[in-house]
Amino acid sequence: MKKKRMKSVLLVTFTSILAVLFIFPLIWMVFTSFKTLSESLSSAGLFPNEWTLEHYQTIFSASADSNMVQWTINTAVVTLMGTVIVIFVDVLAAYALARLNIPGKKIILAIVIIALTVPGIVTLFPAFYLFKSVNLLDTYYPLILPYSAGTLGVFLIYNFLRSFPQELEEAAYLDGATQWQVLTKVIFPSIKPVVTTLGVVTFLAIYNDFLWPSLVTNSDEMKTLTLGVATLVQGSNFVNPAAMMASTVVATVPALLIFLWANKYFVKGVTNSGIK
Amino acid sequence: MYMTKRTKWIGFLFVIPFLLSFLIFWLTPLLYGIWISLHDFRLSVGNNGFIGLKNYVDILTPDTLYNNVFMNSLKNTLMFIVLSVPPLILISLGLALLIDNLPKRLKTFFRTVFFLSYAISVTAVSALYLWLFGANGGFINNLLLNTGMISSPINWTGDQPYAWFVIVIATVWWTIGFNMLLFVNALDEVDPNLYEAADLDGASSWNKFRYITLPDIRNISIFVMITTVIASFNLYGQSLLITRGGPSQSTSSLIMGIHATVFGNNQLGVGSAMALLMGLIMMVITGLQYWMSYRNNKEETESGKSEKKRFTRATNVGPTNVSSRPATTIEKKERKVT
Amino acid sequence: MLNRKYAMLMSAGLLTFAMSGCTPNDSGDSGKTEIKFINGFTGGDGDYMTKIVDDFNSSQDTYQVVQSQEKEHYTKFKSGDYDLVVMHETNLDTYQKDQLIQDVGPFMEAAEISESDFNEAGVQSGSVDDKMFGVPLDIHPLTMFYNKDMVKEAPTDYEQLKQLGESLQAEDSNLYAFGLPSTGLTTFYFTVAAAQNGIDLAKEGYLNFTDSTYADALMQYHAMVFEDKTSPEKLGLDGEFQAFMKSAEDSSKQTAVTFTGPWYYQAVKEKYGDALGIGKMPTLFEQEATTGNAHTIAVAAAVDDQETKDGIAEFLKFMYTPENLANWAESGQTPTHVATLELISEDPEKYALANQNQEQLEIYEPAPRVYQFDEQMRYMNEVVFTKLTGEANLTKEDLMAELEKATKAAKQVADTQQ
Repeated sequence: MKKKRMKSVLLVTFTSILAVLFIFPLIWMVFTSFKTLSESLSSAGLFPNEWTLEHYQTIFSASADSNMVQWTINTAVVTLMGTVIVIFVDVLAAYALARLNIPGKKIILAIVIIALTVPGIVTLFPAFYLFKSVNLLDTYYPLILPYSAGTLGVFLIYNFLRSFPQELEEAAYLDGATQWQVLTKVIFPSIKPVVTTLGVVTFLAIYNDFLWPSLVTNSDEMKTLTLGVATLVQGSNFVNPAAMMASTVVATVPALLIFLWANKYFVKGVTNSGIK
Repeated sequence: MYMTKRTKWIGFLFVIPFLLSFLIFWLTPLLYGIWISLHDFRLSVGNNGFIGLKNYVDILTPDTLYNNVFMNSLKNTLMFIVLSVPPLILISLGLALLIDNLPKRLKTFFRTVFFLSYAISVTAVSALYLWLFGANGGFINNLLLNTGMISSPINWTGDQPYAWFVIVIATVWWTIGFNMLLFVNALDEVDPNLYEAADLDGASSWNKFRYITLPDIRNISIFVMITTVIASFNLYGQSLLITRGGPSQSTSSLIMGIHATVFGNNQLGVGSAMALLMGLIMMVITGLQYWMSYRNNKEETESGKSEKKRFTRATNVGPTNVSSRPATTIEKKERKVT
Repeated sequence: MLNRKYAMLMSAGLLTFAMSGCTPNDSGDSGKTEIKFINGFTGGDGDYMTKIVDDFNSSQDTYQVVQSQEKEHYTKFKSGDYDLVVMHETNLDTYQKDQLIQDVGPFMEAAEISESDFNEAGVQSGSVDDKMFGVPLDIHPLTMFYNKDMVKEAPTDYEQLKQLGESLQAEDSNLYAFGLPSTGLTTFYFTVAAAQNGIDLAKEGYLNFTDSTYADALMQYHAMVFEDKTSPEKLGLDGEFQAFMKSAEDSSKQTAVTFTGPWYYQAVKEKYGDALGIGKMPTLFEQEATTGNAHTIAVAAAVDDQETKDGIAEFLKFMYTPENLANWAESGQTPTHVATLELISEDPEKYALANQNQEQLEIYEPAPRVYQFDEQMRYMNEVVFTKLTGEANLTKEDLMAELEKATKAAKQVADTQQ
């Protein structure tokens, strides 16, 4: 027993050291953001010799060249709407495919599976050109809608439903419920775990997407946080690492908070859903 | 079921949103992309006429402008896959094993810590590593110099193999949490009775890992490998922002090459052809991985009856063997209910 | 259970609401005609262009200029719907041939601006085949900044820089005379090596780098790093500027002089204050010359409605009055508009850099005008300069092989022209 305890203490210590190393870049990012320009350019120390808030003030000042606040709003709109639409579209389709004897079911299922094997890069540039042709670049539409064409969600939920017992639904039909009622009152509650996972995966995918938004947005006001930070890396802030780090801190904090909150749902979702 | 002809068509209404969005945002761009790739199509002025397979021929003829771009970036991308996939799988599995052996309460804590970096966007990660690994007076260089580990500064982002090292480190740090989480969950589901039985038999840790853990997380490992290779194929943000494709275009990835062809050279037609070729290569590689794991599985099945169930689970699925799990989860639930 | 249904309905409602809120805004809320203007001024100079735009917008109520500043502004110009674009002189030919921009003659006429309002370098910068396709804005030559605490007088030739480097090295091994970047502003370094050796890189529409004299000149860059140690090796992207901004400590290398773009003027001024020196580009090679690029203002080919056209003319008229364009000079760029030049000469303190560079215009050699200039230079920028400043064992033969590759790539790019 004593030996086991020893082993456990060693393991915890080792893991803790790894964890500290792992989050070190984040710590460095935070401390650098409080350094002055000249110190951030040259000093090798972790802690600032002289603490300053000027970079944060610059970011949030009216004359800032970066639209940090607008980017945060855009990111919130795009990720939330995108995720809601994906869930809405996919749940409906998966339900109909798994439970209702609809026409063309086999073809649709085949499409879903074939589409899963085709890499996204193939549709990316033509999709961009199509949006350009209909003058919808630089709006929320291309930032939100195309994600709903993905078939992974339909596939996941369909698989989940297919192996799910139907007794409850049949009982509900016998009681005279419509398909819509069955979907919202019987099916939806039981597929919640897989929907949660799909939601979090979609959320992270949209939030993290860089290439697509960089194609379809033009103005600074339409950028997402991920895209905005790229502009800062390539643009004027390139000369100022402290300001750069302050921007990344600001861009990262909201996502981290959402993430910490969603973490338990995500872990649970992955366990239950079958992304395995 | 309880379906009349009318309800059958009402049921069809449920699929319409999906079908519409699939048609508009997936099928149309796909077909349009193929069509564009057969034309002399400029980003600026549009279509200059049908040219058949000329774009493809240009890309595949050695020593032409687009061939150089495509081959060089393909080579770089494959290099990145070779360099990044093993650490992304092995380190994440190692972390997962470590976490799995921790006391229960700490498990959740450390799982969250190592998953944390996944919430940071690729652009922020790149900004961070760009400055950490600065050549002239960067933090890592100063640290190594001050501790005497190197005698002269290393040009991390401008010299090979360091440039790949930085990109791989940044990628591993950024995405390892996701793979780890999948492994942690898979390890959670290994039947503890098996370990207990093995303990009674006096099995070593390695043997327990080899004969109990590994076979049980086999499916998830294949899934992790396939998705990790696909993710590494799509290298873009890290090499664009950290090394700008350098030094000497040695980290310029396929997507960067396609992007430069479309926007720099104005050639949407050639770019679309490149994208289709890249898609084809990815599908072939994914297919190969799938076929190989299928074949191995079959061999194992023949060697032992107990493997049979696993075999059937792993084979009746699409590109990612995602469907293998719900069945097991549900089975468990049902068992609980009864 | 019931609230689930409402949740779904609500989210559907939310969607409709949010989507309706994001329709593209063709005309502003104020009823003004909008002119969409894009430029690549993401450095310290951006604020000065913004000031001109803001002043114009508040000066009248018929038109509104909506400005975008983008690092990748050419990409955005191609994909977006912009009316006005700031274009480098080296890109005018390409965009004219690709039919993305139109003749600015009529706009200049409507704005009461004529070619004679600009100096010769300006007129040249805006024309394609003797026709104006860009209204000349400025010329931004390779500019020398130096640290007066380390260099008493502006160095004028390489010999002086070499001596400076030797004395600095004796003092501290992290101190160097100047820095050569691995990549970034390297186009200017390539063109200045050609100009100071009297070599013309353009040949039948493509850039020809395969030239023994040119290879010798480039090998001198190699020698600066590896023999004379006037520049540190492997400075990375924008290294010439970064190293000038550092302080020599730990592993940080610092230079006393930098040859860089004038758009960094605000940053170096902030760092050095009174210790900042500005000078003419020294003669690194055979003869005195400087190169760089020029900004012009071009009109998108798609602009055809009269209202927008009038608005553009109105904006140009506003911009090309000396008091307004002087803002641009304050950022450090040198206008080519003669009346503005006269105005800023009266205040050498405020427009220090613009005035200094005005003198440089006498020795300014414009970059070669070829189709897809940047793409033709790509291999040189991304591969060749990195080798010159990073490979100690590089020989002239190795370099010639690379130059042949670069020339071949340039020729292939030139051949993509329709």
